[in-house]
Amino acid sequence: MSVADIWLFLQQGVLSGLVTGSVYALLAVAVVIVFKTTDVPNFAQGEIFMVGGYVALFMILVLDWHYALVIPVTLIAVAAICALFQRVVMERVIASKGVGVQLVIATLGLAYVLKGAVRQTGLGDAPRSLPALIAPDTVIIGDAVLTRLDLMILSTALVVMLGLYVLFNHTRTGKAMRAVGMNPKASQIVGVSLVRIRMLVWALAGLISAVSAILITPKILITPDIGHIAILAFAAAIVGGITSIPGAIVGGFIIGVAENLVGLFVSTNAIVVAPFLAILIVLVVRPQGILGGKAQVKKV
Amino acid sequence: MKMDFDKWALAAAAVVLAVLPFIASGYILYIVNLLMIYIVLALGLHIVIGETGQFALSHAAFYGIGIYVAGIINNAWHPNLVISVLVAGVVAAGLGYLLGALAIRMRDIYLALSTFAFGEAMQWVFLNWNEVTNGSNGYQMSPAWFFGFELTSDLRAYPFTVLGAALMLWVTVWLSRSQLGAAFRAVRESDVAAQAMGVNANVIKRVAFMCSAAYAGMAGGLYTTFASFIHPESLGFWTTILILIMIVVGGIGSVRGAVIGAVIFGLISELLRQMLSFQEIIYGLILIGFMMFAPRGLFSGRRRTRKAAAATGAGSSGGTQA
Repeated sequence: MSVADIWLFLQQGVLSGLVTGSVYALLAVAVVIVFKTTDVPNFAQGEIFMVGGYVALFMILVLDWHYALVIPVTLIAVAAICALFQRVVMERVIASKGVGVQLVIATLGLAYVLKGAVRQTGLGDAPRSLPALIAPDTVIIGDAVLTRLDLMILSTALVVMLGLYVLFNHTRTGKAMRAVGMNPKASQIVGVSLVRIRMLVWALAGLISAVSAILITPKILITPDIGHIAILAFAAAIVGGITSIPGAIVGGFIIGVAENLVGLFVSTNAIVVAPFLAILIVLVVRPQGILGGKAQVKKV
Repeated sequence: MKMDFDKWALAAAAVVLAVLPFIASGYILYIVNLLMIYIVLALGLHIVIGETGQFALSHAAFYGIGIYVAGIINNAWHPNLVISVLVAGVVAAGLGYLLGALAIRMRDIYLALSTFAFGEAMQWVFLNWNEVTNGSNGYQMSPAWFFGFELTSDLRAYPFTVLGAALMLWVTVWLSRSQLGAAFRAVRESDVAAQAMGVNANVIKRVAFMCSAAYAGMAGGLYTTFASFIHPESLGFWTTILILIMIVVGGIGSVRGAVIGAVIFGLISELLRQMLSFQEIIYGLILIGFMMFAPRGLFSGRRRTRKAAAATGAGSSGGTQA
């Protein structure tokens, strides 16, 4: 491999990696906000994302709706499913003195219900894609080749991240979410409704997942098993430190770029295992993640 | 009330299992063999999660290691199945000890995720180490041997899986009554307090990982007595979750919960194998339902009511049977 080839691969790998990484980053943020406010690693994250893709597919393929209608309906539907799940199921588990294990298993239950339900519709029998939102013209940056869709994915993801920044820093609800993440009891004392905030956080996680699904499904083929992608989101969240939103975003981009570079330089076969190695290395070397702050010591 | 629930259940199970090979078809025996494997797997996960409180999600990996080790030994040397099962257990235990040594640096979600990552990485190894595991084509295993006797059918393997599961059940009960079992539970309740009582929490956690992996490895070894084929696809996260469901719905920390959970969910999983979407929906609903209305599972609740009943002075009467 000549120097010129390496340079070309490097550019292509980094740019493609940033595109897929932006989607992992969004999903990782969804994982992190739910984990911070409810202490639950949401193992249904991947399936929520998958449902977002299939809700959109259903409306386009079966109902034949226009994108302008499909996008908002998908976002609302997925956010509503998530909010409902937190309100009806998770609150009930918390009320019956469920601790971490029980909450996690409830999310696993949701994951299987969603997967089975999508399989029931029959839409998942063959891998499918959403029709492209915009013309798939190629764009050349440096020596790397991207499509306009790639650029749209990256820029939309960045806009969503900016929106999250504004939400968490400049709105009362966002600040209440952060407060609940820091100290639920204290925030309850100052008048924050925990039930409402937890529900809104799940809805927000659903919203972000639906956005990611609509962004990436025109680019990839989805099946009911696409929920595996959540592994990458978890990897991103862990690499960044599971309680840090900026960490999750950085982690997402790192995982995306690492995946592409491994694919280009090592082999496409090794792509699958790269995130797990990343998780293992980060957890062994720096268990709190890159931006995770001090290591936590919880119960004594 | 001389005999309690456990003894009645064990006696009934022994009778059924003794009669079954004379009346049941090969398919039913196959399912029973599989249930025995699930029981051993569930008991192994019970050791690390139920007894020691370490949330490890790598069980399927050690199960897979056990299957491949035993299968490879069977193919190469046709040893006595006791040897291949033991070697499978020992290899898995060794790797379990190593993973434990790394993983005990972490707790809670970090532990869960790093063991999860290990499980996924192992599945990748099974899928891609073509020279040894034959990769995604699956691995063909020759029948196990027992003193010149070739186990070519489910019927012939049946006594070995049943005895194996019974032995492991006995070991589990013995273990949980031993000093080591007390140390496991001390670490589960609080490793700081356990340290203060002179229990080396780190060593105990590593030992728990090792024991759990040994169970899974031996379950893998027993699997090779009646199965002739393994595909890495069945050694993924889903299998770990299936075992986890068994012990959680059975009741975390309860041996009888692990056994009965293994039987119930082993049966459901086998009966619904042909209908993937129904299987998924039903599993999901069972999980959600249990977590909502009986988060402590089938069996811890019984123990709690008994304790509560004893506390109110009603425990000595016949009112303890829930």
